[in-house]
Amino acid sequence: MFATKWMDQSIEFGIVPVLILVTLYLPFAYFAIPASNALHLSLFGINLIGQIMCFALLALALDLVWGLCGILSLGHGIFFGMGGYLMAMYLLNAAYLDTHVLPDFMQYMGASAFPAFWHVFERLDVTVLVTIALTAAVAGAFGFVTFRSRINGVYLSIITQALTYALMLLLFINDIGLGGNNGMTGFTRIAGYRLEAVSTQIGLAVCSCLLLVVAYIGVRFLARSSFGRALIAVRDDEARMRFLGYRTHTLKLLAWCLSAVLAALAGMLYVPQVGIVNPTIVSPQLSVEIAVWVAIGGRGTLIGAIVGAILVNGLKFWLSAQLPSVWPFILAGVTLIITVYFGNGLWGTLKAAASNTGMGARR
Amino acid sequence: MEMIAFGRFLRLGMAVVWLLAGHLAFAATPGDASAYASRTAVIAAFCDTDGDPAAALGKLVEAGVSADQGAREWATQVMGAIRNGAFACGTNGQAVILGNSLGNSPVDAVTLAAPASVPAGMSPYVPSIVMMRKLAVAAAETGLFAADREARLAAAQQVDKFFPLLDPTIVTRAVHSEHDTQVLTVLKLAMAKRGLNSDAREARLAAIQAVAEVPSEAALTSLENFILQPGVQSDPEVIAAAKKAIQGINTWLMFGRGLSIIFSGLSYAGVLLLTALGLSIVFGLMGVINLAHGEFIMIGAYSTYLVERFMQSYLPGVFGAYIFVAIPVAFLICAACAMLLEFFVIRFLYRRPLETLLATWAVSIALIKLVQVLFGSQNVEFVTPDFLNGGVQVSPGFFVTYNRVFAIVLALLIFLATFAVIRFTKLGLLMRATTQLRDTARCLGVPAPRIDRLAFGLGGGLAGLAGVVLTQIASVNPSMGTGFVVDSFMVVVLGGAGSLAGTVVSSLALGEINQFIEPFYGAVAAKVVVLLLIVLIIQKRPQGLFALKTRS
Repeated sequence: MFATKWMDQSIEFGIVPVLILVTLYLPFAYFAIPASNALHLSLFGINLIGQIMCFALLALALDLVWGLCGILSLGHGIFFGMGGYLMAMYLLNAAYLDTHVLPDFMQYMGASAFPAFWHVFERLDVTVLVTIALTAAVAGAFGFVTFRSRINGVYLSIITQALTYALMLLLFINDIGLGGNNGMTGFTRIAGYRLEAVSTQIGLAVCSCLLLVVAYIGVRFLARSSFGRALIAVRDDEARMRFLGYRTHTLKLLAWCLSAVLAALAGMLYVPQVGIVNPTIVSPQLSVEIAVWVAIGGRGTLIGAIVGAILVNGLKFWLSAQLPSVWPFILAGVTLIITVYFGNGLWGTLKAAASNTGMGARR
Repeated sequence: MEMIAFGRFLRLGMAVVWLLAGHLAFAATPGDASAYASRTAVIAAFCDTDGDPAAALGKLVEAGVSADQGAREWATQVMGAIRNGAFACGTNGQAVILGNSLGNSPVDAVTLAAPASVPAGMSPYVPSIVMMRKLAVAAAETGLFAADREARLAAAQQVDKFFPLLDPTIVTRAVHSEHDTQVLTVLKLAMAKRGLNSDAREARLAAIQAVAEVPSEAALTSLENFILQPGVQSDPEVIAAAKKAIQGINTWLMFGRGLSIIFSGLSYAGVLLLTALGLSIVFGLMGVINLAHGEFIMIGAYSTYLVERFMQSYLPGVFGAYIFVAIPVAFLICAACAMLLEFFVIRFLYRRPLETLLATWAVSIALIKLVQVLFGSQNVEFVTPDFLNGGVQVSPGFFVTYNRVFAIVLALLIFLATFAVIRFTKLGLLMRATTQLRDTARCLGVPAPRIDRLAFGLGGGLAGLAGVVLTQIASVNPSMGTGFVVDSFMVVVLGGAGSLAGTVVSSLALGEINQFIEPFYGAVAAKVVVLLLIVLIIQKRPQGLFALKTRS
């Protein structure tokens, strides 16, 4: 009893040291370990790990609303994309200061300078603050109208899919000045550091890991607090919570806005590492994939989301290089098996097996 | 290869027969002696330095439209030879046509037979640029009386292109003898445009009236250009008449465009209806979100492709009917796929809608990849059956294509069949019972899992039928389904899950709204606006427009 409890507790919190170890390992693996060693990480590998960490943060954000609160959002790509695009606007401003050449798509549109509202994004700190505020506002608006109307379940999922589809279509239009279907690229500098420099790349990957750690600690703290307990109660039986006097739409709204901000932050770190942002970041397919990562990892357990995202994306990158035409079948098979047989996901099943029967049962 | 050689032989044989017949006919009919003399005069007019080629051309055109077959052939040959630079004049007034379609040796321009004596001092006749234009019009004018409608239409368009040079007597004759509306419109417009060019005011007013009688985009342009001419600007009465005519044409065109928008809205609504029908039944009955629905549509389209290939290889005679053969085939294949999906996957996810969503998404990406591997990822080409080709111009600005009419008709028929099944058959009764009160129905002995399976099969089959119809109006590739999933779910959500009337009404509404916004803001903006509209309506009425009254 003591042993399992001790194990249960330590494994859960243990992911933080694991992630910190990974963070420390990154610069070590590049600089200290020679290239011939198997443990060496090339710059490409470090970049990849950074991207995967951003996806893990995105999955964590979805798990916050889905696992804890029961809102399956198939449109979290909207917030991820918002963070990405706003960061790209800052990066293009920085690139212009560097090269004094306007981006291609602006030149094609015949502009001679950045449009007025782009000047807001000339400083990184202002960009971050504006992104957080804007994402919270958009999420708040959507959540306010939706949760008050008591829309939930599959209807909500379909509506979020439709909204992300609409945003993707909007971003494909060339005339709105956000790059159209080619997107925005050509980033050179971030906060004064050159983007191609080794230290910047490693720094971005380390930042992604650290942000993930901080977000995980924060969300876990939230989940264990009374707010988190209220969210879980709303997930399990919203009507009962309403009868008990809780304003469930406010609870859901708060969780929703927090999740949106986390997703936007993930997007902000993702775009400099990948070097380009285009409308596929808000495609309906990506948004459904986020839910698949969380489902495979184990929804409700925050670690499960992180594990699922890392596992699926790691496998995808590895297998897409080796066997590109087999990957969709593998992903489909794994998803099917997990959803049908292991409803709790990988981590959830592990937890249920480790703890006493009855304690780990989740829906 | 054999066909080509046979064709050559056939043409050569026909040429020989023609030569002989022409020669014999020539010799046989003494009345042609005067014709012979006039032809010589015409040819001589081209070759003489002080001859009148324009008048000669007029005579050629007359011959070209005359009732006499021989004269028409002769005129066509001579005009073609002059245009191709194969007309050569000799020093003794004789002219030959070099290397024409009758053979490679020169023939006499008058008799179109081998020359009696070898002409000397041949020099090619080079017509002036003005002459070439007149020749073009002349050739077109002779083509106005051809038997083939396409040839007449092409000739009429050529006459319209060179309308200042046309010969009014001949064109009026053509107008009188023409029956096809499209050719008639082109000819009348050409005559009217020529009338606009004249200097007499009465003629201009008459021409404006004539233009107003054949409204079209081209008529509008010609009138607008006419008003800007300096000679016209000074005449207020003519300007007033022209402006009135322009207004009339604009009204006609707006009317036509409005009809066109309504019609394309109808066809889009038909497609939406087909894609959403199966989804509505399944969602209403089982509450299952099937993200693989788009892939069933795609499988239906590819089944049609297989049927088309099969019939092209083994039953080429009735190839045009492949659409009708594909309808039951696609229905059965997709229904089978859907029932398999239900048996292996959905059955275990009963009462877990969110998991069903993810599981069907997984199936959809596997299906897309499978079809990609089997058929390749590029668009698949379909041969449109003959009876679906083309269309009819109902009103200026409103062109109805037959394949869209077919899509609308088929959508309606399929909807009526589905309605009949749901309303009048035992399966439909059991499905409705299970949708409205599942547990009570089970208590009464209704095998709910089997009804689920059959309903899923029906939904999949309907998606397959949508795919069959879509092969004629949309592009077919492995990822075609993804574009329809969001739209069909919006139709279902707006109309109310499980309600057939709701699906019809919402698909009509969405189709028409989409087509009304599109001309102003573009297709993408129209889609976005429609999606946002639906989201707003759902906020107010989450169960949809026609919600099924259930007691569960």
